[in-house]
Amino acid sequence: MKTVMLVLVVFLLSHLETSYGQELKKEFVDPVPQESRSTAVKVKGGTMIFLAGHTASLPQVNVEHGNFEVQFKRVFDKIKTTLSQAGGTFDDIVTMSVFLTDLRYIPEFNKLSKEIFKKNFPAVTFVEVSHLARPQLIMEIQPIAVMP
Amino acid sequence: MKQFLVSFILLGVVAAPVRAQEREMILPVPQSAYSQAVKIKGGTLVFLSGVGPADEKGVLAAPGDFPGQVRATWENMRRVLAKAGGSVDDIVTMTVYTTERRWGEIFTNMRKEVFKTGYPSSAFMEARKLKTPGALLEIQAIAVLKE
Repeated sequence: MKTVMLVLVVFLLSHLETSYGQELKKEFVDPVPQESRSTAVKVKGGTMIFLAGHTASLPQVNVEHGNFEVQFKRVFDKIKTTLSQAGGTFDDIVTMSVFLTDLRYIPEFNKLSKEIFKKNFPAVTFVEVSHLARPQLIMEIQPIAVMP
Repeated sequence: MKQFLVSFILLGVVAAPVRAQEREMILPVPQSAYSQAVKIKGGTLVFLSGVGPADEKGVLAAPGDFPGQVRATWENMRRVLAKAGGSVDDIVTMTVYTTERRWGEIFTNMRKEVFKTGYPSSAFMEARKLKTPGALLEIQAIAVLKE
């Protein structure tokens, strides 16, 4: 009788674990380190964060937005702030859509993003668009993150 | 004892569906081979970098030939998803970037041949330029692998 109860409890717990135990598993498929990205990122479990497109836009209009590097750093500063509000970090980013007004910035983008992603490279898609929300903007980044 | 056995079996029956992955295509649009939404619970997610008509060495397939590039893109998509342990049927959503939006109909007609078990949700838009020089399309997809 006791044994049956015990088996039942163990069975119940194991089911609870598989149903609700959201232990995070991440796998980086075919990483391309020179471009600090992965061909695909495989994720099971964890908590997902869908971020808005982030830009270097400032609250004040007509403020100098600066060159590519300045905008890049400002965008990632803002992404960092957003992620930390949600309890995450850059390491949790699994994919990002990168919208640029000129794809010739890609080598500079890759150079700068190497400082942010040392390993665990996210999937990345670059797209050139004619305009972003404001005339001064040259990039917008929309990430998805998965935290443990 | 019998009572416990019964509750044991019952519990198994009740608890099992929680683990099974359910996939529901909401408001499919068969003429354009996409669904307005895909509802899914559980499974392993795969976030893919943009996939285009260039092979693993970066060599562009079918320069200037949109249908040829669509075929090459899906071949590359199959290869990447196979490496992640899945297939194109696991795709739940995709954003399709093309350099000319007038190719939309060709793309959606060809998509009917790709998906056999229900259409993913999708967005289609014109981009000014794509990463691979000469590429006429690029697809950014998210897949959920079958358990």
